[in-house]
Amino acid sequence: MKKLTSPYKWGMIIDLDRCTGCGACVVACQAENNVAICEKKEISEGRNMHWLRIERFWVGDYPDVRVRFLPVLCQHCHDAPCEPVCPVYASYHNPDGLNGQVYNRCVGTRYCGNNCPYAVRVFNFYDHTWPKPLDNQLSPDVTVRPRGVMEKCTFCVQRIRRAKEDARGAGRMIADGEVQPACAQTCPSEAIVFGNMADPQSRVARLSRSPRGFRLLEHLGTHPSIVYLKGGGREHV
Amino acid sequence: MKRRAFLKLSGMSAATALLAGCRSRNEKLIPYLVPPDEGITPGRANYYASACRSCAAGCGILVRVSEGRAKKIEGNPSHPVNRGKLCARGQALVQELYHPDRIVTPLKRSGARGSGNFTKISWDEAMRILTAQLKGVQVRGRDRLALVTPPFNGSLAELTAEFMKGMGSPHHVTFDLQSPEWLAAAYRENYGSAALPYYDLSETRYVLSFGADFLEHHLSPVHYGYAFGQMRQGRDTVRGHFAYVGGRLSLTAASADRWVPARPGTEGAVALAMARVILQEKLHDEGSLSANGIQAGSLLKGLAKYDVPRVAEFAGIQPQTIVELAKDFATTTPALAMVGEKVAFQSNGRASFRAVHLLNVLVGGLNRKGGIYPAAGPSTSATGGYAGLATLVERMRAGQIEAALIHGNPFHSIPVATGFQEALAKVPFVASFSSILNDSAMAADLILPDSSTLESWGDVVPVSGTREPVVGLMQPVVAPLHDTRQFGDVLLATAAALNGQAGAGQQKTYLDYLKGSLKKRGAADSPAQWNELLRQGVLLGKRGGESAQYRWSGGGGTPDVEPPRFVGDQKQFPLFLETYPSIKTNGGAALPWLQQLPDTMTTVVWDSWVEINPKTAAQLGIAIGDLVEVASPQGSVRLPAIIYPGIRPDLVAIPLGQGQFAGGRYAKGVGVNPLVLLQAAAEAGATHPAWQATRVSVRRISPEGNLVMHGHPQGSYRSELVGV
Ligand code: SF4
Ligand code: SF4
Repeated sequence: MKKLTSPYKWGMIIDLDRCTGCGACVVACQAENNVAICEKKEISEGRNMHWLRIERFWVGDYPDVRVRFLPVLCQHCHDAPCEPVCPVYASYHNPDGLNGQVYNRCVGTRYCGNNCPYAVRVFNFYDHTWPKPLDNQLSPDVTVRPRGVMEKCTFCVQRIRRAKEDARGAGRMIADGEVQPACAQTCPSEAIVFGNMADPQSRVARLSRSPRGFRLLEHLGTHPSIVYLKGGGREHV
Repeated sequence: MKRRAFLKLSGMSAATALLAGCRSRNEKLIPYLVPPDEGITPGRANYYASACRSCAAGCGILVRVSEGRAKKIEGNPSHPVNRGKLCARGQALVQELYHPDRIVTPLKRSGARGSGNFTKISWDEAMRILTAQLKGVQVRGRDRLALVTPPFNGSLAELTAEFMKGMGSPHHVTFDLQSPEWLAAAYRENYGSAALPYYDLSETRYVLSFGADFLEHHLSPVHYGYAFGQMRQGRDTVRGHFAYVGGRLSLTAASADRWVPARPGTEGAVALAMARVILQEKLHDEGSLSANGIQAGSLLKGLAKYDVPRVAEFAGIQPQTIVELAKDFATTTPALAMVGEKVAFQSNGRASFRAVHLLNVLVGGLNRKGGIYPAAGPSTSATGGYAGLATLVERMRAGQIEAALIHGNPFHSIPVATGFQEALAKVPFVASFSSILNDSAMAADLILPDSSTLESWGDVVPVSGTREPVVGLMQPVVAPLHDTRQFGDVLLATAAALNGQAGAGQQKTYLDYLKGSLKKRGAADSPAQWNELLRQGVLLGKRGGESAQYRWSGGGGTPDVEPPRFVGDQKQFPLFLETYPSIKTNGGAALPWLQQLPDTMTTVVWDSWVEINPKTAAQLGIAIGDLVEVASPQGSVRLPAIIYPGIRPDLVAIPLGQGQFAGGRYAKGVGVNPLVLLQAAAEAGATHPAWQATRVSVRRISPEGNLVMHGHPQGSYRSELVGV
């Protein structure tokens, strides 16, 4: 069999020194990807459907207390713990390094969710509705997931696909910065940068070499596609 | 027929269908990116430029429209305020458009007031009722009409002013709790210019905020969010430093390197103590002082009573902290100090403002790269703020107001202590222009629903966030969903129906009026310019040279920050209360995405909460999620408690925006409105009461707070697990 290769390895940088915890990315993601509206009860059961969340950590005690924000989304691991456990190959790896989820293959065993150390996979425990005319906002590019299906961040694969078509039509590669997921596009402080890690000149590749870089739960050996840049710095000038 | 030709045709008919829907007078939609050759392609989205009016920042947006439906909002990269970025509130504009509980036709009250019983009527009938009522008012006394709106700017400000002038009534109230007009007055006092400041955050090396939450709501959150990112990591060798002075660690303060939890109302004194240290150590910028007419020696003498130990004691912080802040601020160049709403609305807010800005003068931070400049704000400023409101309430109480026209949701956003809500009940005829059945619409006899932002024409002038004059154009990007009319059109039609008694009656539609207004302001006076404005969604002006500079006014007169005064006896009400705007203010509570969005600091969803320091909570026997009662001399609310490590032990805080009786299925009955706690004790001659100067008591009621948090409370402290 021919080995699938791709000139793209999509990756993301999240600069924690820039992130202000504003939450714009969370709503942008929800808008772009038809993420379900969850009521209080559903969230109280721990079943919020957001693909992206802002973790907030308290460090220290009053008055020397500090706060750290950590946007967490699917890390698109290159050794993804969610993939081998899926009995029907709904969770798979694509040649661009994306961790994909085939909704109409998913049978809802939730093994992948259990095996994800970042707890970013969300399961449709309920049938979600968009009361009319709220359904008008649903994006035609993204499937609405029914009950019993696992879903998660796709790096806005529909946008990547669109950019690929455009690039192919023009007979070129996707330019650096040409495609951005919804979160990166809206982030006011430009904390999120997205691009092709396989291109050493791309902004993400350059930023990934920063001495501030680390990966989330690195010791688990999942090899995430997301590199975080450490925040904080001089406590005083 | 070839497939391509067919697609072309069907694309065109789809296009005409779309255009016919929302365009009456041959207006064309001009997409932001002109598509390559064939106009609208089925299945392929177009982007249209417009503007967000959900807060005073006035960001530019691009709306992705696919087959006549608005799908996704992005920031407009050509808009200098937000440069393609957007906040969560702006993202949620589509939900405002497609909200399932919008008012779809004009409504007439059919039950008791406040019962929520309305019957649908036609626009003809609605306009008949409205004009008949206003005609009656015209006969019985022209000043018996009131108009209550949010602080508009641009053409809508002109139109409302003209309308009221034509009607002959002075009662146009544009009250806002975070009062831009108060801020403008404060800047006029300090700098002789009512322009709000533009912080050159991206170029500064040290930013010192006194209660200014510039990453959440202060002036222009998206712009300053962008600038903050630049300040931190946008330069190769410099990482800007950020210190925050204020009793509560807000979302903005959470990004600070240093948090100084000064007691509420002492921020100005801290600034003056810093000024004294700077002068004593001769760290000040002599040139800046003399250019602004200040004599260092006499200023230092005037500051004698602000010696560090005394102020530190007063503010409840370490003396060393003040000294360090002062030295860092004065020796890191460029530096800038900002001061925000929660300091403003203390009893000594005016003096504190002056004190903080004195710091900017001391380090030469005016009109300088990395310092502060006057922003290019709207030329038409708000009218009849708090003073106008107080007069109106008095008149309404005395039965001297016979008709009140209401836009926005003042019933919910004005503190009850002003008496507005109760006085409104005495007005025989109340008309609301709300697009959703909010608390104000519930109190109305007639509802003439406005169109939503994405269906409307308009101009949006940002209050800050840019030094060049900017006009953002709002255009309908989809056909109107319901039988609604723009507020401006209704005003014009009313004026015309009253036989040109009102001066604004000359124009026919609001779109014409808007074009005329833009023309007057030198924008878009040719069709080509108008088309360009439609396409870009933003019109840029030229920066106003030397005249657009701040200069300290009032010379060396030393600001004197008196000790703050609070409402409520300290024994009975031992805690200070802070109320702060949240994503739910300005109509955000009605939108499910924003209710579902966990508040970043507390991760609470779909609710209100009160933040309590862990020590205080322990003393009061309160655990996280308990139902507590917060009481002030004015009123009380019951809501769940959050144990919040980033707040002074003598302070509690409640976010604003929730607690509506109505407002659609997503807002109704969710959370509480802390405005019922605030007292309106305005000082004599004050332009604004001290909303942040109320004391409260907190008492545990039961363990049943019904609080839902997205994050696990214990997980909140385990940052070592993920190495951040
Ligand atoms: S939009 Fe950017 S700054 Fe805001 S929470 Fe997300 S990553 Fe952080
Ligand atoms: S900052 Fe204000 S104007 Fe800008 S997107 Fe958010 S709500 Fe709209």
